[in-house]
Amino acid sequence: MNRREVLLAGAAMSLASSPLVGTRAFAQAGGEIAIGVIWPLSGPSAQIGVDAKHALETAAEIVNGSFDIDLPTAKNAGLAGLGNAKIKLIFADHQGDPQKGRAEAERLITQDKVVAIVGAFHSSVSATVSASCERYGIPYLAADSSSPSLHRRNLKFFFRAAAHDEMFSAGMFDFLDAQKKAGQKIESVALFYEDTIFGTDSSNVQRKLATDRGYKVVADIKYRSNSPSLTAEVQQLKSANPDVLLPSGYTTDSILLIKTMEELGYKPKNLVAQAAGFADKATFDAVGDKLGGLISRASFSIDMAAKRPSIQTVNELFKKRANRDLNDNTSRQFTSILILADAIDRAKSTDGEKIRAALAATDTPGDKTIMPWKRIKFGADGQNPDADPVLIQYIGGKFVTIYPENVAVAKAKWPMNG
Amino acid sequence: MTVQAFLQVLASGLLIGLIYALIAVGLSLIFGLMDVVNFAHGEFLMLAMYAMFGLVVITALDPVLLMPIVVGVMFVVGVSAYAGVIRFAMRAKANPGMVQIFATFGLALVIQGLAQYFFTPDYRNLGNSWLGGKTLNLGGVFLPWPQIYGGVISLLAFGGLYLLITRTDFGKALEATREDQGAVALVGIDRNRVFALGWGLGAALVGLSGAVLAVFYYIYPQVGGPFALIAYVTVALGGFGSIFGALVAGLIVGVVEALTTLILPPALKSVGVYSLYLAILFIRPSGLFGRL
Repeated sequence: MNRREVLLAGAAMSLASSPLVGTRAFAQAGGEIAIGVIWPLSGPSAQIGVDAKHALETAAEIVNGSFDIDLPTAKNAGLAGLGNAKIKLIFADHQGDPQKGRAEAERLITQDKVVAIVGAFHSSVSATVSASCERYGIPYLAADSSSPSLHRRNLKFFFRAAAHDEMFSAGMFDFLDAQKKAGQKIESVALFYEDTIFGTDSSNVQRKLATDRGYKVVADIKYRSNSPSLTAEVQQLKSANPDVLLPSGYTTDSILLIKTMEELGYKPKNLVAQAAGFADKATFDAVGDKLGGLISRASFSIDMAAKRPSIQTVNELFKKRANRDLNDNTSRQFTSILILADAIDRAKSTDGEKIRAALAATDTPGDKTIMPWKRIKFGADGQNPDADPVLIQYIGGKFVTIYPENVAVAKAKWPMNG
Repeated sequence: MTVQAFLQVLASGLLIGLIYALIAVGLSLIFGLMDVVNFAHGEFLMLAMYAMFGLVVITALDPVLLMPIVVGVMFVVGVSAYAGVIRFAMRAKANPGMVQIFATFGLALVIQGLAQYFFTPDYRNLGNSWLGGKTLNLGGVFLPWPQIYGGVISLLAFGGLYLLITRTDFGKALEATREDQGAVALVGIDRNRVFALGWGLGAALVGLSGAVLAVFYYIYPQVGGPFALIAYVTVALGGFGSIFGALVAGLIVGVVEALTTLILPPALKSVGVYSLYLAILFIRPSGLFGRL
């Protein structure tokens, strides 16, 4: 091997390690049902995609194997409605880029013949991928994209079981109202959000809620995501010094935000985050020591495992693969595959139209999921209105559920630093 | 907007500007020497940060002490990149400019792919260090110690580089080679050796910035991207090949970027830098101190 060959081998290896290659040669053969899953497996949010892969594979393992767990499709091997057919996940990588997402979706549909697509973390990517699915008439299930604009586009094939940012933000403000009623002084809030659809949508909702409910918005800062420096932005936050800081950002920016706040000697009185970066283990590995008292909205609470054994079992299966506990994102990703598998099972068909009808007829009670939701039943717009969000607080190195009261295991520490 | 906030933003801009300058100078040096734009510059920065992270994990010493080792490692990386890839790209008979661009770009993709495979896409972060998280409070203006340290290192590196180029034989050989590659061969200077050492020096300089950056910035396989983009703008602004230009342009980019956020919404903070860059391009295409 000369040097050129060594380099070529290296290049080939890096290609082979990317999930695009190697999974393509498969279609609907051999009683397996192909489901397209599209996440950022490389690029700045790659860790989200890697965790998602573990969560989705855990779900496929449960669908395909036979497990004594009280979840749909878990007990028997494969899908009973289709002669115990197994599901097969076909992974695609969108790198956080809506255009790459669209191209990958077309490839999954036309070449890999997937019966449905699940994705995609970034709301901006969910927007383009769901539009492609609509055109080809196959269902799209948004697992962990939370922008409210997604279900307002009159798409027939779009479904989202998890809460969107309006529901999450309303939950946050309900909590703030409750704190205020209990005698806390909360007058001003600051919005701090990244400049893609997730951050801007989240801030639009929060701005409106703050005005409607009588909180003063003392800083309204949109920043460029993946910035090398956030010093000037944090300086503005520091000058405004709000009672509550409401950040909406992905992992890299969240880490930098916390580091920069520390460097500039700014301790926010309270931090209530729109999850994303603030629900990612990487953030807590990096700057967890500075995040004591952080409150985040969440779709999931691991505390509930005490009451619901299925959560414990699923978490153990997931942990075996990912070497970390289920979190806000991975729990929703896991759940999305079970919802889809259950619908295909009931549809007894791989036809897009029939699966769509089965998804629309879904009515799963909350205790048959691992989520703190009332139930899963989609509205005409494809949104599940009963996905109650919870608030979790980072206390003593782990998250505990603090709101709403019926699922809370601890009282909120407010203000967060004292 | 208080005076204090203005001073804070200005000071932060200057400190990050010194680091931008240090990142850019290696790029400028290689371009000045042999007219090759190194598109793997950001990946070199990333490798240096991972080298620092790895060394800290293995030796449990402070990043300040490990800095020379990272610089040495990156020097070797730079020389190897030249000897293993660039040397062959420069032999291209047709369209050598394009071949060189694709060679360094390909190198960048390979390094990034391998980094993602071997280091995983997880975000790394150096825990406690002597400087990490400590801040100097000058009457309400906060200067983080890691960035002050970075700024001082950057200035020292520029001083050292100036001495190296003006006072040593190697520096004279570098200057001579960039003036006239053919003529130096006639006086017995091995062009290949100068190029290899030039790449080593360029990579060592970006390695130094990576070693400094690792103290206060998170590390992941794509970390080089945003910094490399700024480095290209810095080099173009200061003038391709100009070392002093890289220093001045780095400071300008840092300060303009920071001050823009005081006037415009922060999401537009790059607009100031890029407008300035476009203006320079129209008025003085060779950059502020370029000799093209």
